[in-house]
Amino acid sequence: MPGVLQEGVRPQARTMEDEMKHWKGSGVAALGAALLLTVPGAAYAQSKGGDVVIGIVQAPPSLDAHVTTAQAARNITLHIYETLFARDNNAKPVPELAEGVKISEDGKTYVFPIRSGVKFHNGKELDANDVVASLERYRKTGASAALLNGIDTVRATGPREVTITLKEVQSTFLDNISSPRAPIAIYPAEEAAKPANQINYIGTGPFRFVEYKPDSHVKIERFDGYVLNPNAKGRDGLAGRKEVYLDSVTFRFMPEAGARNAALEAGEVQLLETVDGPTAKRLQSDKKYVVYKVLPFAFQVIKFNHAQPPTSDVNFRLAVQAALDMEEVMAISYPDIYQMDGAWLYPGASFYTTANTERYNQADLEAAKALLAKSGYKGEKLTFIVDNLRANTDTATVVQQRLKDIGIDVELSVADWPTVSKIGFTPTGWSFWAHGYGIEPYEGPASVMAPWVGGTSQQKKDETIDQLYAALTTTMDEGKRRQIFSDFQKHMYDNAVAMKAGNYGLFQVSNAKLKNFEPSRIPRMWGVWLEQN
Amino acid sequence: MSAVISDPATASQSPTWHVASRLVHNRSFMIGAGLVLAIALLTLFAGWLAPFDPLRSSFRTRLRPPDATYWLGTDHFGRDILSRLLFGARISLTIGLLTALATGVAGTLIGATAGFFRPLDNPVMRLMDALMAFPAILLAIAVAAVLGASVPNVIIALAVATTPHTARIVRASVLIVREQEFVEAARALGATELRVLFRHVLPNALGPLIVRLTYVFATAILAEAALSFIGVGPPPPAPSFGSIIAQGRDFIAEAPWITIFPGFAIMVSVLGLNLLGDGLRDVLDPRMRT
Amino acid sequence: MARFLAKRIAGAFVVLALVSLMSFAIIWLVPGDPTAAFLDTSATPEQVARLRHELGLDQPMIIQMLDWYGRILHGDLGHSILLNRSVTAAILERLPVTLSLAGVALTLALIAGVSAGIVAAVNHNRWPDQVVMTAALFGLSVPDFWLGIMLILLLAVKFDFFPTGGYVPISEDPLGWLDSIVMPAMTLAVIQVGFIARMTRASMLEVLNQDFIRTADAKGLTRTEIMLHHGLPNALVPVLTVAGIVAGALLGGAVIIEQVFSIPGVGRLIIGGILSRDYPVIQGGLLFLAVIYLGVNLAVDILYAAVDPRVRLE
Repeated sequence: MPGVLQEGVRPQARTMEDEMKHWKGSGVAALGAALLLTVPGAAYAQSKGGDVVIGIVQAPPSLDAHVTTAQAARNITLHIYETLFARDNNAKPVPELAEGVKISEDGKTYVFPIRSGVKFHNGKELDANDVVASLERYRKTGASAALLNGIDTVRATGPREVTITLKEVQSTFLDNISSPRAPIAIYPAEEAAKPANQINYIGTGPFRFVEYKPDSHVKIERFDGYVLNPNAKGRDGLAGRKEVYLDSVTFRFMPEAGARNAALEAGEVQLLETVDGPTAKRLQSDKKYVVYKVLPFAFQVIKFNHAQPPTSDVNFRLAVQAALDMEEVMAISYPDIYQMDGAWLYPGASFYTTANTERYNQADLEAAKALLAKSGYKGEKLTFIVDNLRANTDTATVVQQRLKDIGIDVELSVADWPTVSKIGFTPTGWSFWAHGYGIEPYEGPASVMAPWVGGTSQQKKDETIDQLYAALTTTMDEGKRRQIFSDFQKHMYDNAVAMKAGNYGLFQVSNAKLKNFEPSRIPRMWGVWLEQN
Repeated sequence: MSAVISDPATASQSPTWHVASRLVHNRSFMIGAGLVLAIALLTLFAGWLAPFDPLRSSFRTRLRPPDATYWLGTDHFGRDILSRLLFGARISLTIGLLTALATGVAGTLIGATAGFFRPLDNPVMRLMDALMAFPAILLAIAVAAVLGASVPNVIIALAVATTPHTARIVRASVLIVREQEFVEAARALGATELRVLFRHVLPNALGPLIVRLTYVFATAILAEAALSFIGVGPPPPAPSFGSIIAQGRDFIAEAPWITIFPGFAIMVSVLGLNLLGDGLRDVLDPRMRT
Repeated sequence: MARFLAKRIAGAFVVLALVSLMSFAIIWLVPGDPTAAFLDTSATPEQVARLRHELGLDQPMIIQMLDWYGRILHGDLGHSILLNRSVTAAILERLPVTLSLAGVALTLALIAGVSAGIVAAVNHNRWPDQVVMTAALFGLSVPDFWLGIMLILLLAVKFDFFPTGGYVPISEDPLGWLDSIVMPAMTLAVIQVGFIARMTRASMLEVLNQDFIRTADAKGLTRTEIMLHHGLPNALVPVLTVAGIVAGALLGGAVIIEQVFSIPGVGRLIIGGILSRDYPVIQGGLLFLAVIYLGVNLAVDILYAAVDPRVRLE
């Protein structure tokens, strides 16, 4: 079953421009953000009350936010828990439970004043000890504990002040503590003392946990003791003002697309976090529903195994890069919901650059053949591993056919995600692997680079990338960091480390009665209300 | 189709020409043989008959409904469905045939061992019973998932699922034949046990086996499709009946032709084999006639 | 009879022991790892190792096997890794779904199959016989999951008579339940209708050729009377033997049909388990289905032996 990389959906058909004529778009192309396809009714009165049911694909493996990186979990836990810093609309870290941060001259000491008057769901007031206990727990049991690797010490230096010292300068530290991947949620100290998966689900978020009925649903309800962040103006990404109008939200687990769509149309469910393209198209002409597009949602990436020939050979990789027609890949894999973009960040991101993207989508078979002739490839059969998500299998199929044209013999090996991801992180048994990267580009440049550091994804250390990554994380100057990322992107293309095929998105559909909903990669239930009738 | 009881006196002991003439006069057999032969020919000449390359994709021609160029439409890769069906039949029929052969060999070995060497009967057949206790399709899915998606693995998975029943049928025939007078006579003349088994018992147990294998062939085509549907069938891009349907499923409302035509192709192939099997059974295994 | 019973039950236990061993063993052949469903690609080997330990996957196989037998003897099929609950509970919760699907399908198959078989036998070699037998043959030749998709396309998407999928418990909404179960049950029944119709026809014809029927004929009874009073009861005995096979086939078929119609039954639970490496679900689910199958066949055999004494001598 899908892990975090499997955030993708099964959307379909036609070109972007076509669609924009059908769907009234207000092009807010912010980071990880979404085109609202129907102008929302702005003039409705907000009304309190109501229960919303969201159909979600999988059950969360856990509601202990620290221990899982599953999207199914974070979609729920980010309503229950909060973090010191959180990502705003542009995925920039902004204060949430912290008032702000004071960073020392040498860049190694972070002092976080904690907001006063913040209440946990059990009535207890948040203090520095809770923050320290939660961070310490994450360093031990966190699913992405590496996010806090840079920490030397965490201390409560006042009743509402936490001081963190780093081993060395780490420019990404605020990015890290605000990462939604496996959120570094702040728990009450007594819960933070418990082992993984054994906590009571108590946080400071705008919703409180009610029940988790395995195999069926998770229910949360409005936390009336919630204190709005006084520093926030409006709804802003995962931070900001989190005003709740709804009485409760139920996340119902519905693995089967047909069942989810049927439930939406029967009125049992008010929101689907992901809908296939044909269904979205069908529903969008119906006034009872509003169709939203979250685009970009993820990169489609084709990886090479650098540990064995011929993909260890840079000329071979460049030949493949030159040959591929990425439009063909994207149009077939993600019809209706793709963007052609060679940059290794989402459009609108502050480090976004077009450096070297002229090497993206060359679709030049002659250049490819010339490069291939320089490589050591002798016509042997190569393995393209891919999981059974349709879009990924389609990508592999299109690539295979294209490479046949320049005389590269590729064989597909389709298996389920656990099997594929096991093989794909070993140095043998594969040459190509395609899947989506969703959360990494959302998190920012360091997260985009991280999978290539130490040769994790390409199975062979790449000194240039390792040095660039080290430089990025230890440089505080923004201009220099921008340059570093641009160099990274150049390196990705010059060496064809891996190939980005494009950006893809997903459709979300709500009942038209759900007002003021803004699509985002994590469907947020604050700031929305149900129209009463 | 539980236990099959054979009657060698009226079946396999008859001269070959007699069997052949009865087959020719059997309507089921002739219609079935005609269908199977026709499909086999289409499959063999797929390379000449197919109007397009079954693997060549182009997003400019994707999801075309049936028209004068693409008689059965195109799929979401823009590939011609008719060409994919012609080549898909190759893989589906190969899987069916090889599954039947593999089951025939394994089932005969196991069934003959159980039926002929009595001390082994109980343990071997209990093992077969245990395998039969799992729903065959689930067993095949589990085995295919274990081995990974490929044509040989699908054949292995299906053979594992169909062998126990085949072994049971062979055993039943062997049990009957081994007590017949001519077998006793062979023993009395000093033939070794193995010689008795291979020269006298097995040839006379052949009728029910051939009938069974015809049905296994048909079942395997259906099961390949089901396995592909679940996602553990032969890998893309090579088409099989099942994989064309599985890929069409996401586009069922937009482009139903992708799914509709391969279903009919399966039905015609399986129907042909079932008719063939019915005809063979009428002639070779008359006690089971319906 | 007692001896037959004892022998039959003892045999069933031997098979049961083998079945549970196979259920346990199959997952050790599966490549891949359930931890992949929990952690993303950035997980370090240490994280994977820690998770494996928490899930008990780092124990030697023999320990896991002893543990398995110890538990199943107490009816405990283990704890699902992904569902985070006991496998027994997960199965029992889905069992009514699968049983209602298989039950409705069995009822449909028996009613349609037996009546079609009778019609065919009564009209032996005349046009109703030809029609029924041709239809039965088509029923045996159609891929059931494809038929299900076609029904969805026609009756749900095109005409909106039925929902495209999903399941409504009978306790919640009996009409909704009927609505959700009709299409899948019909799909599941089709093959079995063909099978039962052919069986019924064959055994009817065999019975009709026997002496006592000829006697009844000679006594001047009408053909319909002969059929219903003498033919049918005798013809149904062999049909009974295939009921076990049919029940097994329905359980197996339900695995696929549940997938087509998004019905949350035991079959989908196991397929989900296979695809996500949820070892306890695979082991427990396979064992559970096998036990049901063995139970049904044991019951059928005993019933058959009670009805037809010749069987006991076998």
